[in-house]
Amino acid sequence: MDLDVHLEAIVAGDVQAFARWVAGAEPAVRGHLLRFASEVDVEIVVQEALLRAWQLAPKVERDHRGNCLLRFTLRAAHNLAIDELRRRQREVLRSPNDAELPIDPVEPDPLLRRAVEECQQALPRNPARALAARCEAHGLESDEQIAERIGMKLNTLLKNFGRARRFLLECLERRGIRLGGELSA
Amino acid sequence: MISDEREVLIERVVTAHRSRDPFDALKPEPAFYDLDEAGRREAYARTVQTRLLEAALDEAGLSSTGRAVLARIAHG
Repeated sequence: MDLDVHLEAIVAGDVQAFARWVAGAEPAVRGHLLRFASEVDVEIVVQEALLRAWQLAPKVERDHRGNCLLRFTLRAAHNLAIDELRRRQREVLRSPNDAELPIDPVEPDPLLRRAVEECQQALPRNPARALAARCEAHGLESDEQIAERIGMKLNTLLKNFGRARRFLLECLERRGIRLGGELSA
Repeated sequence: MISDEREVLIERVVTAHRSRDPFDALKPEPAFYDLDEAGRREAYARTVQTRLLEAALDEAGLSSTGRAVLARIAHG
């Protein structure tokens, strides 16, 4: 899958096209940062790298290999992670060349979506509330704000969210679907 | 660290919400630094799974990370 099908529209400032690109690119960007996971808060690196993809898309050089914007973003993510490491005065890692970058964008999976939705409907009440509240927050509310909004203690919210994820993962596994299992610590 | 406390720290790292510094840069979640290396790797693995679940439940296929980035773009 070549996510550069969205590149022209992104360069023209089409946010919806960028959203479609992000949906396909984010797992690859996060996956690329696995080696930094014990040293760097990967979430901020992923968000900053995706933001740079939007800001710098017009300057990305295109070639015949495809996924040019994704490859640019993987390099940006790698460099941002090294910057974070440097701030903490840890060892500096060399930048990878393109041949080392895993290019593995994801495509929408309607079967997975349906399975997750069906599992979600079977969630117990409080884990369901915690999951829904965090999804609705879109990463813009702190856990404290979410807890206050739904009238749940902070630690209760966090534990219920963990229960919701475990419930969904187990439900999916019973259907033969394993999500991100190869990355478990 | 007792198990309950560790679980809470890990779940705090899993959220996509990050506060910002005075220069508008995202700040690492403080709980990340309270975890040992194994806890940080566990938080990473759970985040990967969580984002896949969020994306599957989102009509546009976006996780909370994607939504947070788009909100930053929308708000300049």
